[in-house]
Amino acid sequence: MIQLVAINKSFKEHKVVNDISIVINKGEFLTLLGPSGCGKTTTLRMIAGFEEPTSGEILLDGIDVSTKNPYERNVNTVFQSYALFPNMDVYNNIAFGLKIKKLSKEVIKEKVTKVLVLVQLEDFGDRYPSQLSGGQKQRIAIARAIVNSPKVLLLDEPLGALDLKLRKQMQFELKHLQKKLGITFIYVTHDQEEALTMSDRIAVMNEGKIEQVGTPDEIYNKPKTKFVADFIGETNLFEGVIETHSDNKLSVLLDSDEKIDVIDGTLDKLKQGDSIYITIRPERMKLSHSKVESKNMLKGIVKERIFVGSINKTVIKLSNEKEVIINEPAIDTLKFQGEGDEVYVSWEYEDSVVINQ
Amino acid sequence: MKKTKKSKNKKQTASIVTTISPVLLWMIILVAIPLVIVFIMGFLTRGIYGQVEYIFTFQNYADLLKPMYVQIFVYSLWISFITTLICLVLAYPFAYFIANVKAKYKVLLFMLIIIPFWTNSLVRTYAWMIILGTNGIINSYLLQFGVIKEPLKLLYTNGAVILGLVYTLFPFMVLPLYASIEGLDKSYVEAASDLGASPLQAFLRVTLPLTMSGVAAGSVLVFIPSLGLFFIPDLLGGSKTMLISNLIQNQFLTARNWPFGSAVSILLIIITIIFIILYFNKSKNKGLEVM
Amino acid sequence: MKIKNLKFLVLLTLTTIIAGTMLTGCGGGSTSASSGSYSNGTVNIFNWSEYIPDTTIKAFETKYHIKVNYTTYASNEEMLAKVQASKGQYDLAVASDYMVDSMKKQNLLETVDMANVSNFKNIGSKFKNLAFDLGNKYSVPYTWGDAVIVVNTKKFKGDITSYSDLWNSKFKNSMVVLDDERALIGIALKKLGYSMNETDPTKLAQAQAELIKLKPNITAFDSDSPKTKLINGDASVGYVWSAEAYLAEKQNKDLKTFVPKEGVYLWQDNFVIPNGAKNKKNAELFINYILDANVDAAIAKSFPYSSPNEAAYNYIDKSILNNTTAYPTNGVIKNGEHLKDVGNALKIFDQVWTEFKQSN
Repeated sequence: MIQLVAINKSFKEHKVVNDISIVINKGEFLTLLGPSGCGKTTTLRMIAGFEEPTSGEILLDGIDVSTKNPYERNVNTVFQSYALFPNMDVYNNIAFGLKIKKLSKEVIKEKVTKVLVLVQLEDFGDRYPSQLSGGQKQRIAIARAIVNSPKVLLLDEPLGALDLKLRKQMQFELKHLQKKLGITFIYVTHDQEEALTMSDRIAVMNEGKIEQVGTPDEIYNKPKTKFVADFIGETNLFEGVIETHSDNKLSVLLDSDEKIDVIDGTLDKLKQGDSIYITIRPERMKLSHSKVESKNMLKGIVKERIFVGSINKTVIKLSNEKEVIINEPAIDTLKFQGEGDEVYVSWEYEDSVVINQ
Repeated sequence: MKKTKKSKNKKQTASIVTTISPVLLWMIILVAIPLVIVFIMGFLTRGIYGQVEYIFTFQNYADLLKPMYVQIFVYSLWISFITTLICLVLAYPFAYFIANVKAKYKVLLFMLIIIPFWTNSLVRTYAWMIILGTNGIINSYLLQFGVIKEPLKLLYTNGAVILGLVYTLFPFMVLPLYASIEGLDKSYVEAASDLGASPLQAFLRVTLPLTMSGVAAGSVLVFIPSLGLFFIPDLLGGSKTMLISNLIQNQFLTARNWPFGSAVSILLIIITIIFIILYFNKSKNKGLEVM
Repeated sequence: MKIKNLKFLVLLTLTTIIAGTMLTGCGGGSTSASSGSYSNGTVNIFNWSEYIPDTTIKAFETKYHIKVNYTTYASNEEMLAKVQASKGQYDLAVASDYMVDSMKKQNLLETVDMANVSNFKNIGSKFKNLAFDLGNKYSVPYTWGDAVIVVNTKKFKGDITSYSDLWNSKFKNSMVVLDDERALIGIALKKLGYSMNETDPTKLAQAQAELIKLKPNITAFDSDSPKTKLINGDASVGYVWSAEAYLAEKQNKDLKTFVPKEGVYLWQDNFVIPNGAKNKKNAELFINYILDANVDAAIAKSFPYSSPNEAAYNYIDKSILNNTTAYPTNGVIKNGEHLKDVGNALKIFDQVWTEFKQSN
């Protein structure tokens, strides 16, 4: 179990990591997700020991390791550039950590062979890194790390250099591997799709802070901040003032004098007059020619139609000039979705998600 | 189509030739021709008064096999080897330090190495004589502070010669080493550390092997010139040791045996070429970068 | 097309400049004489180091408006090698007695036109018409002297009476000796009771063995300025030229000169004009200038090598003339030996020297 307690990191005057606290559970696949410069890699490097926190504690199974060197922690890293030693062959690369531990030749051979089988590169022992493809290097890098049976494996955007198809394949394999070995994985990426695919939980980071920690479902469907809503997937964001609040239902007045209703049992703290944001995912919205009852409904004109393969993406211009995006499965190509057509956009009350910030 | 391709190639070659022709001319007149002259001279005979007589002979090269000369060669190679080794041991930490220090200090440290280079090396060797002499700086200080009773014999020793050689050739070792260390991807060292290696282990198993190209380049750049620096054994060694360089100097100036001197020179050039070939082969095999 | 021409032009210019620079380098050391006050041309002089003071050179330049290009060497052999290699580069050189003989035989010398050297009359008769150049056709005496032993009496008590004393192990690592093969092999030959001009290979082999035994006592070879080492204490014993010994004694009172009983190496250095000299008249003018009594006396003040110029004795400090280091007594001269050219045996001398130098 890893715990980061009030971690701060500044380089000179620039604060890169700002008061981060998080608990990572044993055997969990946790992803640090965020745009470039959000501090996710720095955080990972602090866990690995390559940077020392300016303040705060890093606890590994209850012991503070924040001042310990990387070689004193039972944590291993898979680098973005793989960092395979060019002067050693694959076998010796993998065996490196074991040799440092002074294990016997036989034990080393056994472990290395085992892990090579695990990454499906059994015959590659005497090859040199320069003779390997990108995907192979990546797997050897993983092998070199996990052969040491670390408690935690840190992965710094390991799939960034691979092409799309290989990346998708590796995502699957990594997840599979993690489940099999039961090691805690802390994964860093800026690719939200990757994060959503692989993680048990995601910590979304922005400008050195953690915006939200949650399961992929929570992050996606119940974003807690504007940033999270915007960063993950696409979203339609509305701003308004609470008009009425009764039981679980909120009525929100938009500046276009239209109303949106929200049904959500967790919003007792909000009261009349509060200013809030509401976000609705594009795939939760539907288009129709005619008015719709017992749902949220807004009127608008079709501005643009975009074909994205499996989805029909339509941009609708609402009466207050605001644009929304609607994603519908491309199975029905309805006649009225031509540009300039008048349409009604509707969605369930429950699908409105309230965000305070 | 064929015609245009041919004329294009011709134009390209003509262009290349005209671009390098000044350098080519310089190389031919000042390097190639003198080398040929020296090579031919090695097969000629010395006259009574030390002139060159155009009588073909292998005797000069045969003489090289005499034990006395073999000894000179072996000793010279030994001195050069020691010089190279000491340079390496001293230069590596220094180069490592420069590579890892903040950018603003790097320039200062480089200046420390390069600025003495702007002074004539002969003048700097004389400076060492002043420092090491019986009444020189070192002895004066040690005597004054009572550390020693009698002045130390520092000058006109083999140690002084090696000191002079190491001092003069030091920058040639530092610069390639620095380039090699600086070019080393830091993530290799991080990976080693991550896998449990202490700083020393990381250095021995990762950094050192990966900077071997710098070590090799620096070694060649020190070893080969050290074979030819005759004025350092002359000045700092009291002219007592006869190294290859001194032997050549002696043959041309004192013994006036130009044919034999030429033979020795050619042998020195051959030894140099052998080492350079070894260096290039080694670099190729390991797939490391050639400086 | 225009660009191509330009490129070609640039390259042609570059090539010409490079070629031109190299060729001017081949033209010898003489530079254009029209610079400033040097309207009478130049003269290229090749001399031993520390032999003619700068002031004398400058005075000559000013008086005659001739530019002097002055280069030095530290041994006869070095001079010979360079003169052999570069005909016409030097107008004037200074050769020791045996070397004059050798250079004569190799046709390396021009005859000196004595009509241009009227001061020749100032030279004492015992220095003229010597065996190596009967009639003084090729040489004009410049200085003479010998090679003597100097000891720092503070470090080593007791007199040196024979060359063999130098082999004493108490002198380990304390001697500075001339970097001169004839001088050094000479003392080994003298120690064995042979002549310095011995050519017998067996005897020379013995001399080699002796020299190798002497090596541990030698701390440095120096023909340039061995007195410095004696004065500053880097060496406590020296085998040096007489003028060096005299100057060393003057600067360091602890130093004393000794003349070994086997007899000293006597030498006489003479002006010669190498074959092909471009400025022969200027060279003869220079010789004549040096032979002037006052000029020679002034030189003797800086470098007290014994002067053969008896007219100059009127102007030389009596204390120097009476100093037996600077001006060896007639007895020492009688007992001393001049070097002769040893012909083919020089090859053996060379080999002995190399073996000696590289021994440990």
